[in-house]
Amino acid sequence: MLTFTLRRLTLFIFTMLVLTLLSFSLSFLFPGDTVINHSGQINATASELQLLNDAYQMDENIFSQYKAYLSHVLSGDFGQSMASQSPINHELKALLPATMELSLVALLIAMLTGIPLGFIAAIKHNKTSDNAILSLAMLGYSIPVFWLGLLAILLFSITLGWLPSAGQISLLFEIEFVTGIQFIDILLSDSPYKWQAFSNASAHIILPACVIALAPATIFIRLSRAAMIEVLAASYIRAARAKGLSFNQIIFRHAIRNALIKIIRHVGLQFANLVTIAMVTEVIFSWPGIGRWLIESIYQRDYTAIQSGLLVLSCFIFIVHILTDFIYAALNPLARGNKYGS
Amino acid sequence: MAREKIYLEEVFPSPFMQLWGIFRKTPVAMVGFTSFIFLILLAIFAPLIAPYSPVDGNLDMILLPPAWHPDGDVSYLLGTDDLGRDMLSRLMYGTSLTFGLSFIVVIFSLVIGVIIGSLSALTKGVKSSFLNHFLDVILSIPSLLLAIIIVAILGPGISNTVWAIAIVFIPQFIHITRYAVKEEFRKDYVLASRLDGASNFRILYYSVFPNIVERLMSQATLAQSAAILDIATLGFLGLGAQIPLPEWGAILANGLERFYIAPWTVYLPGLAILFAVVATNLVGEGIRHALKLRKEN
Repeated sequence: MLTFTLRRLTLFIFTMLVLTLLSFSLSFLFPGDTVINHSGQINATASELQLLNDAYQMDENIFSQYKAYLSHVLSGDFGQSMASQSPINHELKALLPATMELSLVALLIAMLTGIPLGFIAAIKHNKTSDNAILSLAMLGYSIPVFWLGLLAILLFSITLGWLPSAGQISLLFEIEFVTGIQFIDILLSDSPYKWQAFSNASAHIILPACVIALAPATIFIRLSRAAMIEVLAASYIRAARAKGLSFNQIIFRHAIRNALIKIIRHVGLQFANLVTIAMVTEVIFSWPGIGRWLIESIYQRDYTAIQSGLLVLSCFIFIVHILTDFIYAALNPLARGNKYGS
Repeated sequence: MAREKIYLEEVFPSPFMQLWGIFRKTPVAMVGFTSFIFLILLAIFAPLIAPYSPVDGNLDMILLPPAWHPDGDVSYLLGTDDLGRDMLSRLMYGTSLTFGLSFIVVIFSLVIGVIIGSLSALTKGVKSSFLNHFLDVILSIPSLLLAIIIVAILGPGISNTVWAIAIVFIPQFIHITRYAVKEEFRKDYVLASRLDGASNFRILYYSVFPNIVERLMSQATLAQSAAILDIATLGFLGLGAQIPLPEWGAILANGLERFYIAPWTVYLPGLAILFAVVATNLVGEGIRHALKLRKEN
């Protein structure tokens, strides 16, 4: 496990370097002056500009420029937004938790619905229910997410009136900002209307989370179906059957555990996909997250915000990726480090 | 009585024809294939058969519902939008933008990807290993996110969107070509033609490509369904096709303000996107299914 951790750690550091290098080079690729793109100070006077040039070491060679940029990023200084002229790290601190909350809930929904459906399809391999699940899955990943979101709003918010259509929580509730993750903040607050606020926040998250979850859920269906079919064809399953175990015992004690391990490996990769879908969904549901903020920054040509938003978002995706790798390695001894004798 | 001796000549269809034989017998795949051909024809001939202009509006006929609605007019079969533009014509022209452009983009990325991929399959060592790791990083970034980044650099617009998506899809073709070519090069028939003195490029062209073309096609259908969704999503977000262009995602975004009075301006483009993506996916599933069956026989 130690070598595994060390290898992941070097991969992590290396990828972080590449990501910061990418976001550093974005300042050169975007139109306008590089140092202004770095700092976002569009109204800087000549003397302020001189200070900025010193801070980002713009007169030095490209390596010291990168080093200066890196030290700014590491100390949490992303410059200020060109559009609102407020420090970006403050904005990110408020936005990122909302996106985390939404995407993690969506991931949970996608896994809890997709994986069992995939298992059912695999157990009923080549029967009607298998084909029905597969056709549904294909329809699910063919639907454009923005259209699905609009239809969901029309049906559940306007026609039926069951769920709210926009935002994170009703404005009536005043929740103190602690972690930014709404549910934790509500539980920490000492408001007398805590539970009303909690149910209100859950009503707000259901619709966008389900819309985001649909496409990843269909991918989980396919992944878990393939994994289960592979496991059921393995010889240890045949051995278990020969021992006289009942069908349920085989499925629940042996097959599901081994199939789940194969699926967990892909969760990290699917998460990146899910976050992209979440960006679009945030726009439709006016969710105060980083995706909507990023797309609005593109409209406003707020290059500093685009650059730092992308950096933070990709770091978040990558950290989740690494975490799932660790979970996978913890559950599956075969994945840790060297395979002896192979 | 003399017996005629008849020798039947055995005919072995080429791998591609075997695949087509299996593909043809799957009804669902053929439905998808017919829809796919229909969309391609529509994309080419839309300007000839569309009844009205996609951009000019008729201000007397604003927000007309589709013809099956009691207030509908049969000369505007799918109704009109808020500027009196005929929805049917806009959707037809949109086929050449959303579907046609995605098709061209995928062909372009496929050609570039296959060239780079097969060249890289012939190289060994550090260069090849670097490429492999680099591709792994690029492939783990979702295509839409990468396209949004590139559009952010280039600025919004349909031509920038097309470039962005073309660049985004090249790595996956490099990856699959590289993998497939390497796998074929290990097989005996390649060794046979190598012993005949064929050069690497001759082997690639005459021996390897005919055997990997189906895998590339299957990857191309995957890429195209993603490309349709990406073009439409960028159009919807206002980063792709700009206002008067009848791109499906942009039409949908345009109808958004009057969603509750004129729901057909949102339903119809969404259905068009869904139809195009499902048709593409059905073709892809058909190819993969046929590939699997051919392998088993």
